[in-house]
Amino acid sequence: MKILVVDDFSTMRRIIKNLLRDLGFTNTTEADDGLTAMPILQAGGIDFLVTDWNMPGMQGIDLLKAVRADENLSHLPVLMVTAETKREQIIEAAQAGVNGYIVKPFTAGTLKEKIDKIFERIDAG
Amino acid sequence: MEYLNNNELLDVARDLVLALETNDEKQAQIHLADLTQAQESDLFHEVGTLTRELHESLNNFNVDPKLINMAQHDMPDTRARLNFVIKTTEEAAHNTLELIDKTLPLSDSLKDTAQKIEDSWHRFRMREMGVEEFRTLSNEIESYMPNVKIHADQIHENLQEITLAQGFQDLTGQVIRQVISLVGEVENNLVELVKIAGKHKTENKDGNKADLIKAEGPQIDKTKANVVNNQDEVDDLLSSLGF
Repeated sequence: MKILVVDDFSTMRRIIKNLLRDLGFTNTTEADDGLTAMPILQAGGIDFLVTDWNMPGMQGIDLLKAVRADENLSHLPVLMVTAETKREQIIEAAQAGVNGYIVKPFTAGTLKEKIDKIFERIDAG
Repeated sequence: MEYLNNNELLDVARDLVLALETNDEKQAQIHLADLTQAQESDLFHEVGTLTRELHESLNNFNVDPKLINMAQHDMPDTRARLNFVIKTTEEAAHNTLELIDKTLPLSDSLKDTAQKIEDSWHRFRMREMGVEEFRTLSNEIESYMPNVKIHADQIHENLQEITLAQGFQDLTGQVIRQVISLVGEVENNLVELVKIAGKHKTENKDGNKADLIKAEGPQIDKTKANVVNNQDEVDDLLSSLGF
């Protein structure tokens, strides 16, 4: 299981990576916005995407849409971890096909819960 | 009175001199009045131009909604944002320090007990320990082991919370970026103002349409109707959408 963590703040990437490591996901890689994330995703081998929304270059919502539009990536589970809390934004993300939405600041418990839920759904088919 | 050019002025002046030389007081008065009027007309013309330009400048100033929006909304908003930065960094620092305060006694107690057991163990190895004392040591070791696990778990949990507390850097960083961008906009608008004042009017930029899903970073005013306040509200909203 290889996870790509996309956030423009290196501190937040580190926090998420540390928490993922605690949850047993030791194989992670990083990108600082959608533009740098897309080539990594297209190169293959990523099983799970954790992305911020508000980033310079390519925003997380556009990355999500690009992933869903790419036939090789369209089924990739995407978890958004973001400070964006407007209802319109959450609805937009849901409509774009996000698998989970976590608002910052968040807890280790919330991250675990959402990841577990995403995998439960995938396993259920 | 219409504007007089140089030659016309010169003609009037010559007529005036002639009238004065010939002591024709009446004619001299008329020519003098002509000259004064011509000068006044020039002045009125200039004042008129200036007034019109000032009026246009003020109009431009008034109709630029960006400036008004900045003064009425962005500036107070920026103060709130910077206060949010102070509050968030303060909370994170206290949170971290509190967790450190909770963690240090745990590691200290582990170390102290280990030291005590080590000393006793050394005496036992040197055969300096009686049966009764060994029984006490044995009990101490037995109760120490689960304690190590409990303490280590607690230390791990505290360190994880310290890790999470560092999220303030991202949250405040997003806000500070917005403030930097506002300062840039204010600077640009001041330059525009200077240009308007300098009679070099530039055309208005397009009005910025409010984009409902545009990234905004952390919401400072949590009372806004279209903003969720916590993870539970996100979950509720998503489940209402069939998630």
